[in-house]
Amino acid sequence: MSFCCPIRFEGETRMKTYIPEYMLSAFAAQGIDVSGLVYAIHADAVDKSEYMDVYIAVSSDTMYILYGLEKVVKTSGARRIVAVYEAEKLETRPFSELGELKSELLLSTGRLCSEKDGASKILLVFSIGFLADVERLLKVIKNIRKGVPALEDIIVDDELFCHKCGTRYPEPERKLCPKCMDKISITRRLMGFFADYRSKVIVIFLTMLAGSLFSVFSPLVGSKFFFDEVLTEGGSYYGAILAAILLIFAVRAVGVALNILYSYVLAKTVPWIVQDLKLKIFEAMQRLSVGFYTSKRTGSLMNRVNRDANNIYWFFVDGLPYVVVNLFTFTGIITLMCMLSFKLALICIIILPVAIGFFRMLWSIFRRFHHRNWVYSSQLNSMVSDSVNGQRVIKAFAREDTEAVRFAEIGGKQAAVDIGAFNIGYTAFPLIYLFMFFGQVVVTALGGNMVLKGEISLGTLLTFIAYLSMLYGPLEFMSWVSNWWARCVDSAQRVFEIIDAKPDVTEPDDPVILDRIRGDIELKDVKFEYDPATPVLKGLNLSVKAGEMLGIVGKTGAGKSTMANLIARLYDVTEGTITIDGINVRQLSLTQLRQSIGIVSQDIYLFIGTIADNIRYARPNATMEEVIRAAKAASAHDFIMNLPDAYETRVGAGGQDLSGGEKQRLSIARTILQDPDILILDEATAAMDTETEANIQKALFELQKGRTTIAIAHRLSTLRDADSLAVISDGRVVESGTHRELMLRKGEYYKLYKIQLEGLKVINMEG
Amino acid sequence: METARKVSESSLTLAIDIGILDLKKAEFYETPGGFTGLRYEGKDYDRIILRRALPIGHPMEYISVADKDNKEIGIIRSLAELSEEQYAIVAAELESRYYSPTVHEIKSVKDKLGYVYMELVIGRDGAKYAKNCAVKDVSRNIRMLDDDRLAIFDVDGNRYIIQSLSGLDKKSLKRLEPYLF
Repeated sequence: MSFCCPIRFEGETRMKTYIPEYMLSAFAAQGIDVSGLVYAIHADAVDKSEYMDVYIAVSSDTMYILYGLEKVVKTSGARRIVAVYEAEKLETRPFSELGELKSELLLSTGRLCSEKDGASKILLVFSIGFLADVERLLKVIKNIRKGVPALEDIIVDDELFCHKCGTRYPEPERKLCPKCMDKISITRRLMGFFADYRSKVIVIFLTMLAGSLFSVFSPLVGSKFFFDEVLTEGGSYYGAILAAILLIFAVRAVGVALNILYSYVLAKTVPWIVQDLKLKIFEAMQRLSVGFYTSKRTGSLMNRVNRDANNIYWFFVDGLPYVVVNLFTFTGIITLMCMLSFKLALICIIILPVAIGFFRMLWSIFRRFHHRNWVYSSQLNSMVSDSVNGQRVIKAFAREDTEAVRFAEIGGKQAAVDIGAFNIGYTAFPLIYLFMFFGQVVVTALGGNMVLKGEISLGTLLTFIAYLSMLYGPLEFMSWVSNWWARCVDSAQRVFEIIDAKPDVTEPDDPVILDRIRGDIELKDVKFEYDPATPVLKGLNLSVKAGEMLGIVGKTGAGKSTMANLIARLYDVTEGTITIDGINVRQLSLTQLRQSIGIVSQDIYLFIGTIADNIRYARPNATMEEVIRAAKAASAHDFIMNLPDAYETRVGAGGQDLSGGEKQRLSIARTILQDPDILILDEATAAMDTETEANIQKALFELQKGRTTIAIAHRLSTLRDADSLAVISDGRVVESGTHRELMLRKGEYYKLYKIQLEGLKVINMEG
Repeated sequence: METARKVSESSLTLAIDIGILDLKKAEFYETPGGFTGLRYEGKDYDRIILRRALPIGHPMEYISVADKDNKEIGIIRSLAELSEEQYAIVAAELESRYYSPTVHEIKSVKDKLGYVYMELVIGRDGAKYAKNCAVKDVSRNIRMLDDDRLAIFDVDGNRYIIQSLSGLDKKSLKRLEPYLF
């Protein structure tokens, strides 16, 4: 069964459909008219501990679910081919019978449910890995029901597999097949960074080649020339020992000088190239949307970028030059050996691969022991760090002895592995050297015989032995440099991925620039999800008039902060619209939008620099007087003046420690200086004590004057001055109105208010 | 010491009711739509959420039962306390939530540029089948659950369990060894 035509085009309208060939025949075997099918996915069914392979297909009005077991046979170089599909049962479900379809994320599974007339039904329970496929299927059905092309905005399954070799992309959005990755073109692109340093690169390569030329000729001069021409009677320079020694020394000295020269030029060039690369990465990172940083694959972005840049750096400083040197040395030595004595050269060529094979085998055994040792060492290290950091807790619970026992357990395991590793190490390496020596012994024995027979001179034999030992290095290096190169290319690929990444949130082609943003905000049926099947906002509607304050109340995880991020367009909505002064935020100039919105949140970030620099971050040209005015308005001036370096106190990583309240006041001062038209206060005072909160509230009150303000808060007391309030629960607005209206309604807000009031009463009673 | 323990038990451990369900009053049932429901103390919860408190060590003990709004109704101390028919309903619901295929053999492991491609033999004894998966960031996604059990998380989010590392055949273990811990 082939997989030659996974995408079919249908009829005059060329409506795109997607049914893999193997599914098409499975459905045809069930007597279904496959010409009407539009889309199909492969999933599984894991309900009631049974496993089934499931094919789900949809036509313009029906969903077909086919249960069975498939046997997958892999053939080399081709995409997986389904050899057998044993269908067991077919479910036919017309859309008219199905209600609203939803996928639900469970713990390690997901389920497809239908809801109609208040009754819910589970259609399928599948492994979590198929969630994205099921989500795509639901989108296709939604498109069909809406009457838009079925595959609009759908990634067809085929795009999840490498077109060349059929390997599944490890990350569908990355479309990078590790098997077929074009290493050559990536290396070429990487080499492009050397273009600006062309002359230096030429110097590096020439000096490297000259250096290896001298090292290749060194044994020829030191052994053959010295023994055959200087020490042997009848030689061209018989007895000229001093001149010969000087020549040997000169050859070596020139070699060393060339090496120094090339290292010097290299050290002056490569760091600049890596700097260029890092700068490009950094610039690219500034362009990217917040979503890029919060997505799972960029969890440790900084570490990765540094590690990748270092991988590239070391390959170019250490790896590539040696590839050139070793390749040249290897070819040079083999050529010279063949010229000196073809017979002996042939013997060496036979011995070498055996020696290398033996070396690699021993090395792999040693590496396994080393790995185990490393595993236990890291466990032990984490235990020590755990114990040091948790000393207060350990002592408080009197668990010192238990900790010691835990340590002894892992330590014992490590000791056992250590013994094994030492034994292997002490046995393997001498054995390797013995084997290498054995190679030399064979050549010496055979060569010695040839010397006695007069086939070659003593000088030739000694030169051979010297060359033989010189050959091990390049050969061994070549056997693992390919892995090193692969790692460097992978790093480069990731770096280029960041450089080439397109931000999710982009500036519109023809952005609307308003003279002044008044601050009328409206959210219409806004839906948003960070991960598939886990919607955060589920059709949120609210509005706030220019200059008014809207208070947002709701439990943790209700979607309040997400809403704030969407207004500032840190993310784009999945569905629905957000308008400011009647214009969709997607059409507004991104720069103007961001400059017009000030966000004071619980997460405060101070950059490395002085307090003054941090306050004027939004307006670097603000005068010192404006900075002080902002600090005063934010109730920050007094604490700043109590610091020894006042406004010049260095904060951020490694700087002066400030309390949460102090940092918050600096961030408010920063926003005051920004002078935004719209202000979003996202739990700005959530982590503060009552007195600090009162101070900050005063500062915030100043800041809110005359601006549209959206204040998100847990503590309802902070929202007393709001013109209107909205209660958000489970991604929707469940109540809205003024404080008075909501209290009279006795709904969610009333409940929350009562709970907080009761809490305060308890505190007062205890106090 | 003895007195101190008694005091702590009476003051804290016993003071908080963890809401163990009285299974005599509980009736689990399957809804026509395929969901699991519970009738308890005169109330009918037509769609319950079951979660394991100890999914690795004791998967059949301390099962939290919540209503469809995720509000906990109570805890089942041990499924062994349920009747056979009730056990089957609860166990099936748990299984469909926590389904993780068991790995019996590792046919091949290929490390390519940061991704580890594995060919696994999974399933039950009677019906074993091969499954290919790709694992990224092995130090995080191949990890020990306890001294002998191992979990593999692939790029799709699937979780595969090796129930006993020491019970795995030699070849599979050798293939997996470089990626352990």
